[in-house]
Amino acid sequence: MLELTSVQIAHKRQALIKPVSASVNNGEIVALMGPSGVGKSSILAYLSGSLSSGLQGLGQASLDGLQLMQLAPEQRQLGLLQQHPLLFPHMTVAENLMFAMPKGGSQTERYRQAKLHLAEVGLQGLEERLPEQLSGGQQARLALLRTLLSKPNALLLDEPFSKLDKSLRQEMRQLVKQAIEKANIPAILVTHDEDDATQLAVQIIELEALG
Amino acid sequence: MLSMLQRPLYWLIILGISMPLLLGLIGVVLPSFGYDPALGQLDFHGQHWQQLFHQSEFWSGLRLSLGSGLLATLFAYWFASSLIMVSFDKPWFTRLQAAITPILSIPHASITIGALFLLAPSGWLVRIISPWLTGFERPPNWLTVQDPNGLALIIALVIKEMPYLMFAMAAALTQLQPDKTLQAARLLGYERLTAWHFTLLPQVFRLMRLPIFMVLAFNMTVVDVATIIGPNTPSTLAVTLLRWFNDPTLLLRGQASAAALVLALMVLLCILVWLLVYRAIHHWRQLHAMSGGRSSWLRYWTLTGATGAAFTLCLTILSLVVLPIWAFAQRWRFPDTWPASWTLDNLSRAGDRLVSLSAASFSLALCSALIGLILALLLLEHERKYQRSDGTVIILFSWVLLPQVTLLFGIQVGLLFLNWNGNWFSVLGLHVLYSLPYVYLTLKAPYLAFNEAYLQQANRLRATPLRNFILIKLALLKAPIAASLAIVFSVSVAQYLPTLLAGEGRINTLTTEAVARAASGDRKLVSVLALAQAILPLICFMLATMIPRYWTTGRLALRRQFCSN
Repeated sequence: MLELTSVQIAHKRQALIKPVSASVNNGEIVALMGPSGVGKSSILAYLSGSLSSGLQGLGQASLDGLQLMQLAPEQRQLGLLQQHPLLFPHMTVAENLMFAMPKGGSQTERYRQAKLHLAEVGLQGLEERLPEQLSGGQQARLALLRTLLSKPNALLLDEPFSKLDKSLRQEMRQLVKQAIEKANIPAILVTHDEDDATQLAVQIIELEALG
Repeated sequence: MLSMLQRPLYWLIILGISMPLLLGLIGVVLPSFGYDPALGQLDFHGQHWQQLFHQSEFWSGLRLSLGSGLLATLFAYWFASSLIMVSFDKPWFTRLQAAITPILSIPHASITIGALFLLAPSGWLVRIISPWLTGFERPPNWLTVQDPNGLALIIALVIKEMPYLMFAMAAALTQLQPDKTLQAARLLGYERLTAWHFTLLPQVFRLMRLPIFMVLAFNMTVVDVATIIGPNTPSTLAVTLLRWFNDPTLLLRGQASAAALVLALMVLLCILVWLLVYRAIHHWRQLHAMSGGRSSWLRYWTLTGATGAAFTLCLTILSLVVLPIWAFAQRWRFPDTWPASWTLDNLSRAGDRLVSLSAASFSLALCSALIGLILALLLLEHERKYQRSDGTVIILFSWVLLPQVTLLFGIQVGLLFLNWNGNWFSVLGLHVLYSLPYVYLTLKAPYLAFNEAYLQQANRLRATPLRNFILIKLALLKAPIAASLAIVFSVSVAQYLPTLLAGEGRINTLTTEAVARAASGDRKLVSVLALAQAILPLICFMLATMIPRYWTTGRLALRRQFCSN
């Protein structure tokens, strides 16, 4: 379970939004909504340990009882999906997946695993391509698969569908929902799209700016 | 009218920069095979090559050039990349960048003279720790500079080239998405420095190849730095063959030409080897990354490199600080840490000579910067219009990658033939040729990224294309133009060999004088010269940073002041 307790974003010690508290159960998604610039993405950046300098995060977050803010980003075991898939351009499709898999097994075995996983999301036969050779939809699916293969304990979704066209958007929503349920992990979705929130989330939290 | 002239002008410039290149190469290839009409030798033969390969001085010089050039480049790259990796997401990264950038404008000879006065047995480093730590009351009998293995030369080259590679790497990072890439890798569980090695470094290296090869070529073939601080029994190959070329009997010219060709081939071979080794390392690193280990021992490699970088930066700062100390020192006995008394006499002693040398350096640098800028703008405008740049890039890069010592002797023969030797305009021409690649490279990205719609709109509003080009396009590009002018100014001030060979001793600059006097033992006078050599480009660099920033507000304030009525 992912728990947020009075999480806020501040600038020069001045809180910018009203505190956010939420409990997200395994296999469920909670959506954060609000006007542009209110600080939705900053909350995810605070949780993932990548808040830009100049902003401060306040409040606590715990994942399965573990206090996240006391850990380095790489120790938090959070997966993050954003608008930009951020696939590593110098690695092939299979290498991007092998990079994310936990340590263990021979290179051949890891490569075989990567191929199997690609087939599961309909990307079979693309393992030797470079990310730039994939379509937008294929890149989005690969980014989701890569994140899940790193076995995160929670998923942060920062407007991951906003760059996709309407039909692809619907397909990705279903894929993400199924993946979260299958992995049985909590997820927080930041979006400005009502359809994203209503179709995926069990709870919608509206962020409000202070002052 | 101007657009009609554009194509012929472009081809004229290409001809102007490729002819001397060709002349330079022919001028060493033919004499190396015995054909040298100037000496009345018209038969082709391989005796000069045989003679060269029997020279032990050639082999030891080659060994030194290869060793010092490769090691200095390797250390500079290792230190620079490590410091960037360690400091990149730290709050002080921007301040570090701001502190390093001015160092780029300081000529090699100037910093090397500082390093000489720092590392010598009687240098500042030994003074700082003497006698309380070492017990030395006299300078120790050590070979800390001009050592036979070229260690001091390697240190001097790393001191100068590490900041440049850091600057190039920081510039390369702006073309990537470093923050997000690192974030993605770290959220997959990778430790910060390991994430750098597996995700960003392979991408950065692709963008860094040219700066690294420029540094490698420079380190292997440099003459002024090697003359000041490098070994002299034997010297590096570049210094040795300069001596052979200048041999008054002219009997060694053929052998020197063959050695100059070997040096050029060695540079190309080392670039190839560097690429092959890098490919092997890259392949190994990819395999390492695919194993899924979240923390690699490579992080310790990086932390060691960053420590080396911090140490090098300290040496750089001390090398620069020691120059004004010597320049204003009256009495500074060993082992005192500081001079016992200070004076302005060293400046006044340099007096008229200092003024004339500064004026010569300044006028050459200013003219070559302005000419270089105009030529680069013409090349880039043609490139923008016709979307072709391959030929231009190859010719310009050849000027940077081929050893100066190889090309300049052929060119010198041409100058002698035309009776243009020892002429200020010949020196200026060579300065322009060696500055042009830098102004072109600095301006290329911002110039080609300029939104032409502004200029098109201006042309629709007023039918004065040239005026609009200056008032709109160049005005909007004033920051990169000023930066490129500052870089070219610094490149020109630093030119040693082109000034020496085309000027034939009749045209002297701060650089030629400082290098010639470096070994004289008159540290006070040499420091004054080196300091003046460093200050000129530094002032230009500061102006280039300040003027574009305050140009518009200053212009408007002046207009309010004088045109209020």
